[in-house]
Amino acid sequence: MLKDNLTNALASLNLEKVAEGDYAKTGYHLEVAAQPAQMPDVAQAMLAAGCFLESFTAVDLRETFDLVYHFASFDELCRTAVHVPLGKKKGMPTISHIYPGADWYEREVFDLFGIHFFNHPNLKRLLLPEDADFHPLLKDFGASQGND
Amino acid sequence: METKTGEPLIHLGVLEEALNLARANSLWPITFGLACCAIEMMAAGAARFDLDRFGAGVFRPSPRQCDLMIVAGTISKKMAPAVVRLYEQMPAPKWVMAMGNCAISGGPFYYPTQYAIVPGADLIIPVDVYVPGCPPRPEGLIEGILLLEEKITKRGRLRKFRDAKG
Amino acid sequence: MIELLGIEEKTYTLNLGPQHPSTHGVLRVVLEMNGEFITKAEPVIGYGHRGHEHMAENRNYTQFLPNMGRVDYLHALAYNQCYCMAVEKLLDIKVPERAEVIRVMTNELNRITSHLLWFGAYLMDLGAFTPFLYCFDDREQILDLLDRITGSRLTYCYYRFGGVPTDIDDDFVAGCRAFVSRLRSRWADYDNLVTKNVIFINRTRGVGIITREQCVKYGITGPNLRGSGIPYDIRKSEPYSAYPWFDFEIPIGSNGDIFDRYVVRLAEMEQSLRIIEQACNKLPDGPIMAEKVPKRIKPPVGEVYQAVETARGEFGMYIVSQGDVKPYRIKLRTPSFANMSFFPEMAVDNLVADLVANLGSIDVVIPEIDR
Repeated sequence: MLKDNLTNALASLNLEKVAEGDYAKTGYHLEVAAQPAQMPDVAQAMLAAGCFLESFTAVDLRETFDLVYHFASFDELCRTAVHVPLGKKKGMPTISHIYPGADWYEREVFDLFGIHFFNHPNLKRLLLPEDADFHPLLKDFGASQGND
Repeated sequence: METKTGEPLIHLGVLEEALNLARANSLWPITFGLACCAIEMMAAGAARFDLDRFGAGVFRPSPRQCDLMIVAGTISKKMAPAVVRLYEQMPAPKWVMAMGNCAISGGPFYYPTQYAIVPGADLIIPVDVYVPGCPPRPEGLIEGILLLEEKITKRGRLRKFRDAKG
Repeated sequence: MIELLGIEEKTYTLNLGPQHPSTHGVLRVVLEMNGEFITKAEPVIGYGHRGHEHMAENRNYTQFLPNMGRVDYLHALAYNQCYCMAVEKLLDIKVPERAEVIRVMTNELNRITSHLLWFGAYLMDLGAFTPFLYCFDDREQILDLLDRITGSRLTYCYYRFGGVPTDIDDDFVAGCRAFVSRLRSRWADYDNLVTKNVIFINRTRGVGIITREQCVKYGITGPNLRGSGIPYDIRKSEPYSAYPWFDFEIPIGSNGDIFDRYVVRLAEMEQSLRIIEQACNKLPDGPIMAEKVPKRIKPPVGEVYQAVETARGEFGMYIVSQGDVKPYRIKLRTPSFANMSFFPEMAVDNLVADLVANLGSIDVVIPEIDR
């Protein structure tokens, strides 16, 4: 039910991919690929459908970043994974005004990957000390950095 | 006027010994848990293990009332300045116990590219007793307290036991 | 009044932590206060950051297993199980039935220890010391049971990819039965001591209310969510392991205040006892380890998201594999992180005296937030 509703809602956003996921293998019911600028609209559609932001993280693919948003619902088993490819040294629009819970997730990603989020109300380091000058989860993070 | 150092005019040796005996038998640890080991520290103070039997069960939240710091858990780089500051706020004489492998050497979290932790409490503050384990059992913590008593009085409960044993 | 006296109204800043007895570890909250009322609360986290996710990328799959017991040390086995299940999914391993039931049994015992510790520590926050001694007494009984089969008291690493390494024996089952009846006989004590205590009721009724809307916006899960009346429990809504074979209920609250969360946790312990009891009665025979578990764990290229219900809420694990012996990326979605991110909204416009009551009621484990 929810899956069909979401598919319909997302269809109008002209996304790259809205496909059924292989639940037994990946744990997703719906797999979505979107461009960075489309993300606030996707989040809005998710919130309208009553989904909550389960998790948000980034993966450093060396040439680009892959941002992964997971949404799920309290009422029905339907997990949606939204993949957003993002070039290095590019920024990402925030969704923290739609999901206040995304605030900390975005700060964490900024902290560990150095990805900038536009219009974020309080974008500063979350886990590392504020004077840290490195982003540990980047794949080229070496032993010499961070250890003084 | 020149100040003389060396032999003091009045010897307080006997008094000092008596004071040490009192200190050793009423250690006041600071309520200071960093990670997993803190739970075992709580367990040591609770019903079954009852640290109060050794006079060390009065956990105080304020460093100014304490003379024993049990570093229970991983010290992150962000936390290290706070640990040093807490240590400095404690009145002397004071002792430090490194509880668990993280506080001893970084334990399971130390590896070459580790960026987040201080590998060992003794890198930032002086440590008197090390209690290994991940986490140490409450019995281990109690043994550590007894060892510390021995260190303070130079004749703890354990020494008597060990001497008798041979 | 202030205006009458011609005094300028000012707020002041109050720092709480990182070493504070009621922050359950190393949390710091910077409060902006107007008199006794909080106008802004900003948690500063990261004092327990140990770099689990970075460590995962530098270790192989088996080496990372012991880490899971140290992310949330109070309910270590659920984290263990989540990681094992995620890797099993990547490798396509089927766990034998007996192992699944053993996993559920030990997991539920561990859940009770976590709730008992919350019970004791939370009441200590509110100023009552005796419940702490009561619950630790009961908790030690479970630790003895788990100690016998897992070999540790706290940071368990008992599950393996494909099953469990050591089998349970009749003594363990008998011990579980004895514990179930022991804890049931204690409920009356707990109720008399705390639940019916008028001071406790007055401090918790109508305080720290969480609404459904806030739960959706912040992704709050676990007893905090169920206290607000939403019956969302991964064990039921996305059944995993052996949970579908057992009969248990999801206790929910109605107001979403602290008292409801307290009642939900207490009721959840009773439901866990029910699961353990049923598991003792219908423990299947058979192997405890899957047959085809490769010695060298090298999952194919792919990604997986696995969620489990821990004592604090939904723990999710997102693993990206690029066909190497090391995970390419592991994201730990910890329940306390999402629950804690709601805390500023919860604290604002409340008295500073209720801050500790609010903070304790969402049951956070700091190293789990910081990872």
